[in-house]
Amino acid sequence: MKIKLIPNNEQDLSKVFIFLLPLVVLLSASINFLKDAFRSFSNVLPGNQVLNYGFLDKLSNQISFNFLFSFILVVTVVYLLSKSLGRSIIIFPLFFLTGLGLIGIEFIDVVLAFISPEQLLDLGNTSVLLLIKILLVGAFLGLILLNFLAKKEPSIFLSSQFLLGAVVFYLISLLIYRSEYTVMSDNFFINSMYLSTHIYVGCSFVFLSIFYFLITKGMQATLFSKTLGTISFWGYLFLLPWTGFKYFYGTTLPDWIENVSIYLSLSLIIPLLALIVNYSKTIATKENKEPVFSVLISFAFVVFGLTNVLQIISSISNVTPIVSLTNFEYSVRYGYMYSLILILIPFVYHLVPKIYGREFIYGRLETFNAYLLGTSVVATLSLNTLIGINSGFSWNAGANAGNPTIYGEGFLITWSLISTPYTFILFLSLLFLLSTFLFTLSTLKAIIGGSVTESETVSEISGDNDE
Amino acid sequence: MSELLAKVAEILGAPETLVQRSAEARAEASGNTVEEVLQSWAGGEAIAASAPAAETSVVEETPVEEVKEEVVVEETPVEEVKEEVVVEEAPVETMEKVIEEESVELKKESSLIFIAGVLGVAMFTYFFAFAIPKNQSADLVAESLNNEIAVSQEVLKGAQVYNDLNCQSCHTQNVRLLIPDSQNGKILKNKFADEVIIKNTGLLRLGPDLSTSATREPTNNEKWLTRYLTDSASVRDTIPHPNYDFLSTSDLDYLLTYLLSLGEVNE
Repeated sequence: MKIKLIPNNEQDLSKVFIFLLPLVVLLSASINFLKDAFRSFSNVLPGNQVLNYGFLDKLSNQISFNFLFSFILVVTVVYLLSKSLGRSIIIFPLFFLTGLGLIGIEFIDVVLAFISPEQLLDLGNTSVLLLIKILLVGAFLGLILLNFLAKKEPSIFLSSQFLLGAVVFYLISLLIYRSEYTVMSDNFFINSMYLSTHIYVGCSFVFLSIFYFLITKGMQATLFSKTLGTISFWGYLFLLPWTGFKYFYGTTLPDWIENVSIYLSLSLIIPLLALIVNYSKTIATKENKEPVFSVLISFAFVVFGLTNVLQIISSISNVTPIVSLTNFEYSVRYGYMYSLILILIPFVYHLVPKIYGREFIYGRLETFNAYLLGTSVVATLSLNTLIGINSGFSWNAGANAGNPTIYGEGFLITWSLISTPYTFILFLSLLFLLSTFLFTLSTLKAIIGGSVTESETVSEISGDNDE
Repeated sequence: MSELLAKVAEILGAPETLVQRSAEARAEASGNTVEEVLQSWAGGEAIAASAPAAETSVVEETPVEEVKEEVVVEETPVEEVKEEVVVEEAPVETMEKVIEEESVELKKESSLIFIAGVLGVAMFTYFFAFAIPKNQSADLVAESLNNEIAVSQEVLKGAQVYNDLNCQSCHTQNVRLLIPDSQNGKILKNKFADEVIIKNTGLLRLGPDLSTSATREPTNNEKWLTRYLTDSASVRDTIPHPNYDFLSTSDLDYLLTYLLSLGEVNE
């Protein structure tokens, strides 16, 4: 195995990234587990400036939604862009430096968090770091646009469509994050828009990009309908950025924007149905019969679908006031992130033979891990949903009883309803950490010790798409 | 015509319908008649790929470039002759080539239109979901008669400590606009404030809401608060709460000042 630190082309760069990707996922899962542990047992565990729930929550967000997300985005763009445009990446050295800079700046954010814990997130928000980040994402977008204009394929494949959408909204989210807080409602405006553009659109578009690649090229199947794919693309692009406001229903946001958010969230059924039909019809023609590979893609798809269903459910008029400002939104936020992590695993497994020329064997470990990952993620999302509904009901019951906040001893009632699910989430978080460790192990085992097979050349990378 | 078609079909060893379709496609592309195409396939004269009329008009309009155009006109038939030589040498393969060209022809999607569409949706979203309603909100507050709550520097410093500790990840300071809530608490609708105070309103309610915490027992008691913040288990061991015993005395004092200011009403 030979990994070049300064790559000459997208294949060399993909080698470095595929090697590091499981380690970044593992880091994110570790911090997430630590955060959950300090949430449930903060009064028992020894605490300090770093080891406390408040800091770990910020750190976990920083690592999962910024560092890991930007890493996945760059990896996906590097491999899939050339694949879906039918040509090798133009101005590759600049492309490499921009991608590296983007990941680097997110990593610096994380490192600075330990040096100055109280400044975490503020570092990115108010300082020069955010400006550099905006410039880098802008440059990255510019390079992607140049590659789009120089494409060789007659059609624009769905994978590259979703990638472009993800990067455009990543840039928009950073611009939104820079906005000033002048009135109370700005807290909800800025955060709900940042949430929906950065996490909802960003994570789901990168997910869909890999998903369309894997269900066609990975499963050796023919895409059922480009039109349905296009419907899901434009549908999600238009609807998803508006869906965050409803989770702040009843706050100081203007009523009209909450209502628009509710109606547009209900409309998510259209791109979701298009996606379901396209997926089920496409995989009916698959030639890759590897069951574990299919199971992993199916789990990722189920989690993504479930997240969309949660978005729709939370828009029902009787449910929206209950789930406002509760953990229910966490189910959606983590649903998009988890679906992305789940689809990454078959993506990495698929790329190991292609990039490294090493055979990947789906053994018992991989089978066990696929089910462990899928079930732990689905259970975590379900429990977060349950916590959201339970706490929402108890807040409302308190309000109806003349106590708007359920403070002091009254909070014991709420806590009794949600503490057990939180403990289960901690356990599931441990299982997820174990799964990511096994995923790292499987990948490294295949890269280092897998039997030699034929790898993909750069010219093959930049063409031959079945979509 | 039908005789010619049959003859060509015989030469090429292909069905007449197929030959007819291919000839029609070639005729459309070259600007010639079907008969001319068939004649060329039957061993007649080669045909030009594009309509000659257009070439002539260009030559007439721009006499300076005439020589260049002529060169182009001359080059084109050379290419075509080459192609036709292939037709004559291996007619069956050429037919297959023609048919293939017809069947694999893909609709070209324009990158520019697609990029413009994506950027258009992104701009639309930014302005209509964010910039415009955000400014609208700010204007409404500016017009309000009651839009300021004065806070001391100590309270602001305490708010910063609260924000740095990320207390807002569990506690909100936002009584919701649901009817039962609005009857009991202050609605933070029209209030200018410092950035850090705005951020402290929180986005998710896991623990109790603190918007009125200083108006009720026991959270309005400084001693109780100090003990709870530094050793929460000694006060209430059933609900986990982080201990902030690592805070400096001054930071803890600022934090207490801020927490004891919550609930001040300026109606």
